[in-house]
Amino acid sequence: MTTAARLTVSLAALCAAGALGAARAADTAPVGVTISDKGCEPANVAVVPGKSVFKIKNASKRAVEWEILKGVDVVEERENIIPGFTQTITATLDAGDYQMTCGLLSNPKGVLKVAASQPAAADAKPAAVSPMDLVGPLAEYKVYVTREIDALVTETRAFTAAVKAGKLADAQALYAPTRQHYERIEPIAELFNDLDGSMDSREDDFEKKAEDPGFTGFHRIEKGLFGDKSTAGLAPVADKLMADTEDLHRRVSGLAITPKSMVGGAADLIEEVASKKISGEEDRYSRTDLFDFQANVDGAQKIVALLDPLVQKRDPALVARVKGNFAKVDAVLAKYRNGQGFESYDKLAPEDRNRLKGPVTALAEDLSTLRGTLGID
Amino acid sequence: MTERKTILGRCPFGGLARPAAPAPEEAPACPGRRSLLVGFGLAGAAGLAPGAARAANAEEERRAAPDADGTRDRQPFYGRHQAGIVTSQPAAALVAAFDVLADDRAELAELMRRLTARTAALMAGEMPAPTDAKLPPPDSGLLGPGGMSDNLSMTLAFGASLFDGRFGLAAHRPKRLAAMAAFPNDALDHDCCHGDLLVQFNANTAETNIHALRALLKDFPDGLALRWKQDGFLPPHTIKTQGRDTARNLLGFKDGTANLDARDEALMDRIVWVDDRAGEPAWTAGGTYHVVRVIRTLVERWDRTPLREQETIIGRDKAEGAPLGLAQERDLPDYGSDPEGRRVPLDAHIRRANPRDAASADSVILRRAYNYSNGLTKAGQLDMGLLFSSFQSDLDRGFIAVQTRLNGEPLEEYIKPVGGGYFFALPGVAGPHDYFAKALLETTA
Repeated sequence: MTTAARLTVSLAALCAAGALGAARAADTAPVGVTISDKGCEPANVAVVPGKSVFKIKNASKRAVEWEILKGVDVVEERENIIPGFTQTITATLDAGDYQMTCGLLSNPKGVLKVAASQPAAADAKPAAVSPMDLVGPLAEYKVYVTREIDALVTETRAFTAAVKAGKLADAQALYAPTRQHYERIEPIAELFNDLDGSMDSREDDFEKKAEDPGFTGFHRIEKGLFGDKSTAGLAPVADKLMADTEDLHRRVSGLAITPKSMVGGAADLIEEVASKKISGEEDRYSRTDLFDFQANVDGAQKIVALLDPLVQKRDPALVARVKGNFAKVDAVLAKYRNGQGFESYDKLAPEDRNRLKGPVTALAEDLSTLRGTLGID
Repeated sequence: MTERKTILGRCPFGGLARPAAPAPEEAPACPGRRSLLVGFGLAGAAGLAPGAARAANAEEERRAAPDADGTRDRQPFYGRHQAGIVTSQPAAALVAAFDVLADDRAELAELMRRLTARTAALMAGEMPAPTDAKLPPPDSGLLGPGGMSDNLSMTLAFGASLFDGRFGLAAHRPKRLAAMAAFPNDALDHDCCHGDLLVQFNANTAETNIHALRALLKDFPDGLALRWKQDGFLPPHTIKTQGRDTARNLLGFKDGTANLDARDEALMDRIVWVDDRAGEPAWTAGGTYHVVRVIRTLVERWDRTPLREQETIIGRDKAEGAPLGLAQERDLPDYGSDPEGRRVPLDAHIRRANPRDAASADSVILRRAYNYSNGLTKAGQLDMGLLFSSFQSDLDRGFIAVQTRLNGEPLEEYIKPVGGGYFFALPGVAGPHDYFAKALLETTA
């Protein structure tokens, strides 16, 4: 295959990618144009505004000059390209329609289109999704959040009732499944800082640790049920947790979920897993960390699933990696399933913990790019 | 400056004998070169016009000397104020908090007398005399047999707990000194908080700080119990630029650009030093409130945050350090023309910390921060962050007002204050007749 032919083939492949031909970012690869006796090959070229590099090969029988024209003005030119030689020309172009000269003046001029990035321009900055594209996913996510928060209210009512009635075993059994509804929508619940503090803080957040009077919520009750193995003195904490849960329900119902909090929420959930759940610090008395772990992962997977078609268009490899890593996490967690729930965190083998660490960290890295990929600031 | 003459005239180490191993009368004299340098400092400062004198001027000139390896850099010990507050920051820091084990006021005074002498000797780079090799050595040997000053400063501060019932000092507590209360985003670990006595070690190298800490542990086993400690560091190459370049914190942002000019004596008198106008107990004059905060930064998560979001959270661009919308690091943001926060968001860290309006004009602080890096968290993430210190004459108007404005800032998602405390950095030691907190311990009932 001759050089000219190879050029033609590769350029044709590029042309196929977009209606106007090859759109290339400035400093990635130069745009090749071959001048034959009959004209430019390709005759249609597209680039993005800014600096572009052109490699002009003279495959004709006579010396040529190559020019970029804007109307009658010569924007850039290279004179006297000898037959068989290739010259490199760098031009900084504003958006607009230009022409290229192609050897003999009788030859048709080539078309050079300079336009802002298009979806077809793989190297260009990914285009932001339009607000309309997000209406569907946002609405569906709101439904998901509402379903979880409704379930949280119902199950917290049963849980706190068991605590107040002194039914230790019942309360212990209800603790972890109830929390899962909170953990699935944690990034939304955490928008309300005061409630997150009173409902879900751990004793590490307080100077006097478990004895601190500010330590309330799920984990305070957890300490009573699983640490002290008693419901004594927990009634006021249970009442407060129920009131906070209803307050959270009210506030979430009136909340307009923004694209940023939904899309960013996937990363937030995995950051929670990476920084807290994987270490078994979250549920230190009940050892039910794997319930929370799975719930965080569920919440992140839901968001990713809703955004899948939008991300797929922009970065299919990202979607593939994320799905692969979710599958790995789910597979390890599945080994520890026990009926409706999970084994104790203490049973998690060290090698399985490491098997979780890799995919979780990779998910954190990938999901942190989700907002940028969709152009959501 | 007169106090420095005592250093010239006599090595203070002779008065430092431990009961078990009295130093011989002919304790090693201060090396000649050191005397020369101190003398140079004296002359240098005396030659300056009033008002133009700058703290630690001699130290800075010396550090700028191309042939200096820094091991003989020396901070003044005697003076109205302690070193380590407005003196320029060397590369290594160590903050250690102690419980005081003295039983009564007299024992506390004796402890402070001995601490004063030991601190003066350590800052001068003096070594204890060698003892019989059948005994444990009197010094760790960490700095070699000759010892070195290495720019060491040791800055002593009392915590609120020292003013409880043990020593009859309750009525003389600095007015605003209390145990640090947790702010909403804090997750304070009691084991890394508070203390009766705080010692801030600053030196050119971590080894010099550790040497000084170990000297205190060895010499005061029944006087001081170590409660917690935290090391910190700054890039030495940035420090060498003498403030032209700003060190970056572990979030990758320049940290300290808008800090006060510690060489501006009038400003320091106004913002940092307690004086007799403050309504504070008389003994506090020349001291300052010292706030220490160990602030963990969640760096993995930060590194997974979009650049633009990082910049709007801080309020500066990351590369240059300029306030958003401006070009240069030291350009001053004009918030008056940006009332809605279009350039620098209203909740950006720099805007909350210092809104540059009339209401916040007197709530400024002198910061003295270092980076730190410990081990890992249980989740296998990096345990690192900022070893923050601030100095101010009024704790409420200073740090507490600033931190209260910062409560709820978006940066909170990436930081977790875990330790530290409020302390009162003692006034300086005037001379050999004086000792740390003498005015408190002897003249009050």
